[in-house]
Amino acid sequence: MNIRRLGWRNLLSNPLNTTLSLLLMTFGVGVISLLLLLNNQIEQQLKANLKGIDMVVGAKGSPLQLILSSIYHIDNPTGNISYAEANKFSKNSLVDFTIPLSFGDSYNGFRIVGTTPQYPELYEVSLKEGRMWSRSLEVVLGSTVADVHQLKIGDTFYGTHGLVEGGHVHDDYAYEVVGILEPSYSTMDQLILTNSHSVWKVHNHETIDDDHDHANCDHDHDHHDHANCDHDHSEEVELSISEDLSIPDDAMITALLVKFKSPVGFIQLPRKVNETTSLQAAVPALEISRLTSLLGFGVKTINGIAYIIIIVSGLSIFISLYNSLKKRRYELALMRVHGASKWQLVKLVLQEGMTLSLLGAIFGVLISRLTLFFMTFLMEQKYAVSSFQFNLINEELWLFPIALFIGLAASLIPTIQTYNINIPKTLSNA
Amino acid sequence: MLQSESITFAYDKENQFLFPDIKLEKEEDLLILGESGVGKTTLIQILAGLLKPQSGTLKYNGLSYHDLPSKELDQFRGKHIGMVFQRPHFVRNISILDNLLLSLYLSNNEQDKELAIHLLEQIGLADKLNCKPDELSQGEQQRAAIAMAVVKNPDIILADEPTSSLDDTNCDKIITLLKEQASSTNAQLIIITHDSRLKSQFKKSIIL
Repeated sequence: MNIRRLGWRNLLSNPLNTTLSLLLMTFGVGVISLLLLLNNQIEQQLKANLKGIDMVVGAKGSPLQLILSSIYHIDNPTGNISYAEANKFSKNSLVDFTIPLSFGDSYNGFRIVGTTPQYPELYEVSLKEGRMWSRSLEVVLGSTVADVHQLKIGDTFYGTHGLVEGGHVHDDYAYEVVGILEPSYSTMDQLILTNSHSVWKVHNHETIDDDHDHANCDHDHDHHDHANCDHDHSEEVELSISEDLSIPDDAMITALLVKFKSPVGFIQLPRKVNETTSLQAAVPALEISRLTSLLGFGVKTINGIAYIIIIVSGLSIFISLYNSLKKRRYELALMRVHGASKWQLVKLVLQEGMTLSLLGAIFGVLISRLTLFFMTFLMEQKYAVSSFQFNLINEELWLFPIALFIGLAASLIPTIQTYNINIPKTLSNA
Repeated sequence: MLQSESITFAYDKENQFLFPDIKLEKEEDLLILGESGVGKTTLIQILAGLLKPQSGTLKYNGLSYHDLPSKELDQFRGKHIGMVFQRPHFVRNISILDNLLLSLYLSNNEQDKELAIHLLEQIGLADKLNCKPDELSQGEQQRAAIAMAVVKNPDIILADEPTSSLDDTNCDKIITLLKEQASSTNAQLIIITHDSRLKSQFKKSIIL
């Protein structure tokens, strides 16, 4: 038996008060920790998915919507733009490279995106199995898509018009799975990738000569498509681009991702696009900081409420210590009679308060992780919030000193009372 | 050897006490008798080092322990003095055995579990070791309180009205137990009471 164990026993002997104080502290710290984690996670996720994309060109509308739809794939696109017009910027000397995106169809809620193999390359995602598409209607699945629908190489499916389930099914053209990507914990996991041709073909029979396209490989053994067939099972990145060469002038895309060669691009290009063309240019970095500052207000409010809960938990610790000390004054005097020093009793009281607050903080941080884990688990299929971290983030480290301070403040008055306890009087009044 | 000379204490002008001198040789027990309001509790608290006398000297083995710094006085009290109160008191949240161990811990003694169990067995509480104090009967609590005071092997056992609320049978039992425990640990027993039944039991007594 010693002071530390006695402190524990005192806490355990008062389960209701102890639980209330613990719950309040756990809840307060948990909410703040969860907010910090979510904020951190969202910021990380938003940044991770940017992958160095400096500008997005799309149809006029909300710039934020353009960014959300074409980088994060969580909003509807602003509209279609002419590929030829958008592609003019590819030749600008300030542009490093561009990636066209065409989307509007989905399969059970997962977006079908027509693009170039440069798109998954930008996200540094490699194939887990199969190969890249080499011709139209061949698709490569993001890892989550493959997992959720249990799709394998060789499976076929029909796309649905629109980005939500239940639209018109394009049952003229079946997509064939030829490859599945490694999980990357980015938006790439949620996408069905194919070449731009497939999207055009499904939507507009006239844009592309259907028969010609099919003949490309299966039947027609002429000139440039020849190799396409023979090396069907290797990654034919170069050759699939050769198919892109046949993009007609009136082809439409949804957005064009642009990477600049130098920061000078930020100064010139977005303005140039917005002022001289009918297109819209949005800078993801700007839109994202606008978005996070919008979210910031809500976060601050909830944070404020959580701090109030922490203070209330301090009050609860204070009341439970104060009440239990009132009942135990005689015990403390008795301990002094048996030889305990003032400081030993101070230690006992302080320890009870600090244990409650620190335990509450630890539980809070654990609970926030547990909550986030389940949230991630539930949301994983919808949004790309998959990377999950258990370690403490820097901002959270503050929660422990704050909790300890609250515990200390709550124990202050009971501690002073304990220090100044009048033993003869307490013993006489017992 | 415990020796006091002209100890006085005053709570206020009306409540002033001058206590008779005490001279207690080694292995001598003492009964201090007095009616209510003559400062019995005050005297026992002074003897226990809980209340500082306003004048006079009080020495144990030549040491004027009231002059020790607070922490050393706490340790002196823990080591040398075992107190038994009129009503038994414990730390409520821990078992009887743990109360004894706590008493050993606070007095800087080794927490000898065997010793504590043996003592509780001796006073007939073998089956109550792990009971909380509230689960014991009045009589059992009285005995356990004595065990808590003597377990640390004190030199002086101070008992404040240990028998006043007991009937004759239980009074005898408690006094016998106190005497037994005192003699088995070579402690001097000082009882302060208004209970004149005890007069016959002690060779040396003073009246306040």
